[in-house]
Amino acid sequence: MISYIVRRLLILPIILIGVTLLVFSMIMMLGPYERLSTYIKDPAELKNVDVDVLVTKLGLNDPWYEQYGRWISGVARGDMGWSESAGSTVTQAFLSRFPATAELGLLALLPVVVGGVILGVFASVHHNDFWDHVSRVLAIIGWSVPTFVFGLIMLMIFYGTLGWFPPSRLDSWALDIVNSAGFINYTNFFIIDGLLNANFAIVGNAIRHLVAPVITISILWWAFIMRITRSSMLEILRRDYIRTARAKGVKENVVVYKHAVRNALIPVVTVAGRMVLGLLGGLVITETIFNIKGLGQFMAQAAQQLDYPAVLGGTLYFGFLLILINLCVDVSYAIIDPRIRLE
Amino acid sequence: MEWQEVVIRLFKNKISLIGLILIIFFGVIAIGAPWIAPPSDPSEPYMVPRAGWGFEPQPPSSEHIFGTAEGQYDIFYGIIWGTRTAFRIGFIIVGISSFIGILVGTLAGYYGGWFDEVVMRITDIFMAIPFLIAAIVMTTILGQGLRNVMIALITFGWMNSARLMRSQVLSIKEEEFVIAADALGAGDFRIIFKHVILNTIFPLVIEASMRMGSMVITASTLSFLGIGAPEGYADWGQMISFARNWILGGEGNAIKYWFTVVIPGGAITLFCLSWNLIGDAFRDILDPKLQ
Amino acid sequence: MSKEKLIDVNDLATYFHTEEGTVKAVDGVSFEIYPGETLGIVGESGCGKSVTSLSIMRLIESPPGKIENGEILFNGKDLTKLNQKQMRKIRGNDISMIFQEPMTSLNPVYTVGDQIMEAILIHKDVSKKEARQEAIDMLTKVGIPLPEQRVDEYPHQLSGGMRQRVMIAMSLSCDPQLLIADEPTTALDVTIQAQILELMNSLKRQFGMAIMMITHDLGVIAEVSDRVAVMYAGKVVEYADVKDLYGDPKHPYTWGLMYSIPHIEKDLERLEAIPGNVPNPLNFPEGCKFNTRCQFATDKCRVDEPELEEVEEGHYSACWHVDKLEEQKAKQGRG
Repeated sequence: MISYIVRRLLILPIILIGVTLLVFSMIMMLGPYERLSTYIKDPAELKNVDVDVLVTKLGLNDPWYEQYGRWISGVARGDMGWSESAGSTVTQAFLSRFPATAELGLLALLPVVVGGVILGVFASVHHNDFWDHVSRVLAIIGWSVPTFVFGLIMLMIFYGTLGWFPPSRLDSWALDIVNSAGFINYTNFFIIDGLLNANFAIVGNAIRHLVAPVITISILWWAFIMRITRSSMLEILRRDYIRTARAKGVKENVVVYKHAVRNALIPVVTVAGRMVLGLLGGLVITETIFNIKGLGQFMAQAAQQLDYPAVLGGTLYFGFLLILINLCVDVSYAIIDPRIRLE
Repeated sequence: MEWQEVVIRLFKNKISLIGLILIIFFGVIAIGAPWIAPPSDPSEPYMVPRAGWGFEPQPPSSEHIFGTAEGQYDIFYGIIWGTRTAFRIGFIIVGISSFIGILVGTLAGYYGGWFDEVVMRITDIFMAIPFLIAAIVMTTILGQGLRNVMIALITFGWMNSARLMRSQVLSIKEEEFVIAADALGAGDFRIIFKHVILNTIFPLVIEASMRMGSMVITASTLSFLGIGAPEGYADWGQMISFARNWILGGEGNAIKYWFTVVIPGGAITLFCLSWNLIGDAFRDILDPKLQ
Repeated sequence: MSKEKLIDVNDLATYFHTEEGTVKAVDGVSFEIYPGETLGIVGESGCGKSVTSLSIMRLIESPPGKIENGEILFNGKDLTKLNQKQMRKIRGNDISMIFQEPMTSLNPVYTVGDQIMEAILIHKDVSKKEARQEAIDMLTKVGIPLPEQRVDEYPHQLSGGMRQRVMIAMSLSCDPQLLIADEPTTALDVTIQAQILELMNSLKRQFGMAIMMITHDLGVIAEVSDRVAVMYAGKVVEYADVKDLYGDPKHPYTWGLMYSIPHIEKDLERLEAIPGNVPNPLNFPEGCKFNTRCQFATDKCRVDEPELEEVEEGHYSACWHVDKLEEQKAKQGRG
């Protein structure tokens, strides 16, 4: 198990270097003057300076590998330049926006994985043509509705008409409390902070604001995970070792939940990995529509305002994040399947 | 299964039939656009005409049957000509990225060894950046516009077909007829082309069909975020981005401007649905155990 | 034989109701097994031998499968009348089963120890620690080296022969009265096959259970069985002592199987022993189901189906023309 994780970790630097190269080659598609902004830490530096001198000084006309070397050593120190659209360094901008995104992402991800698997197992055990067709059609339709269309309709109905689930992270009264001196921001996850401060009004308000974005970002994956679990279960239930378990006198629900589910989870983990990829993209749209000040909204705004340092830095951060998540996926494979753990 | 039988079953399968009918329907609209919604300026048919300079969207009327969006852009015109845009985006992106993917995957799978290793690590690197974010970045750098959106989506859209193709090639490479062809001295290229590609085409068609929908969604998402089609261009995502300021309605009626979202949103959904239905039916026919 | 029958199958019929029609996989099969003996059931694939064993275990997937008729008396109790809960007390405890594919019959995500212990913990009132010790003992008995170490290994770490030994250990862990072995050696190498058969024979003496050995391999049957039932198209066509059957087959099918082969190790699945194919189970011929491939077939055979009849003491055959077969055998001067 440990050697498996170590081996995975050893591949990480290769992928990471590759990602930085890819991002850097995108930077190099810009001209030297546009690239200048990625090297400026503070707009004050640009005052009373000849831009051409600065380009030469920063070596923006040097061969690409020299530039890459300088850039990567800056990135390694966490220096990704100044973000015009955030009015701070890229790193600061990302750190301050991370909790909102993590809160939304985790709340979207965990219920889907757990709930989708449970529903899928249920559907496979009681498999019945009617619900099969319903879940299938829902999955296909869900796959066809663009997230931004779904999100806008959610807003129209549940905020505009019914007033139940407002956008942004908190109502303004709640925001005042959170920003007041008496409220300690332990994590900046408002649900957790609310609980830690024993302020349940904050918890309730934060949840109310999260319902619509969480549904928007995760709805299609419910159907998807459920269908994968179901078909995987149906296949596993036909395997020889299931018959062996029954021949031992094992109870049917033990056959299903002990012998079948664990094996059926292996393809589900693969899909869950793909789902995380999709969720990261979905964050950009969902945060934009529901006005949640997280990484995704930041990326979208930075792109619209041609804030290159933020966009490139953001890509790298998302790349790191994705690699970490893939590592989690790999570790879950190893936990579930001894053949991978011991290979 | 022979391809003739696949086609026959595709026609018999109700789900795929709905998909086919929808695609034909959209195809007819795309081809007939100049007659269904005659452009006022034939040299620039993709620019949506404006019915005035007012800001507020206007509900459907006899003159504008789908109403007008923010800035008085005619929604009906945008939908009709947007169908052409959607087909063009979908076919170009899926066609080119599938071609790249097939090429890369075939070569990696067939030659194996260090070449395969290097190619697959490069694939991993491209997949280490979330697709939508990669597309946003690339488009930002290249500059706004549909052509650049397509370049970005192709750059980051070939990996799935490459992986799929590689695994197909790996599994089929071991089969006897390929080994036999190899032993008979058929040239490398002929082996790859004749046997491997013809035997692996169906999973790729399924994948491409499903990707048609998701690529059109992604392209419209970029337009919605304001970095895709230029303002006024007939593009479904663009039409919806006009709705952003009007989501909460007005005068006590939150769904007053529903048509600005629902009509173009419905168009995208139906378009993607048709491709997904066909892809799903295809998968069903080829691999019944996946149902 | 005045001994009490351990299992007495009477006129068993198991059908599968599929979209294309009803498959009469087992259609009126009767046999009995006495304590401590080995009954071999032999036949080509698709003859209903596996469905017979799964019917005894009541593991037929339903739908589409269903036991339509007959009784399975086990120690006088009719298994077809038991509910699933009562059946579970019997499975793995009184009757246990090993399967053809040792590679796929063990659950890949649990250790072999866990899988053996599971059976013990279900049927015996022992602690986990005792169950583990019993599992290790069983692994020793089936000849697995380093059992203390192997008990914590996963199936993929063992070879095919080792896995089949684990399956045997698992099936014998609760001292069953009857072991059903469904092609236990088919998937194994020839040398390993012999080892497994030898192991089964010695364990049979040690544990004193009866074995129902299902196979398509006449060589395996000769090696381990006391009596043999030959099945064809869902029916028993010949039923006799192993010596009588091999010495003097009384059904053209059995005779064809043996006559056409130089060695009795002949593998029916791979080499065609008899011209023609097993009939399509959706569309069995009228009359004797073997008539399409039988050199002695007459019009009678194409209309009336022969019943199993005692042609010599303890030797049953379902054929209208045993006499013609005898003539042919005499002509060729071999039995």
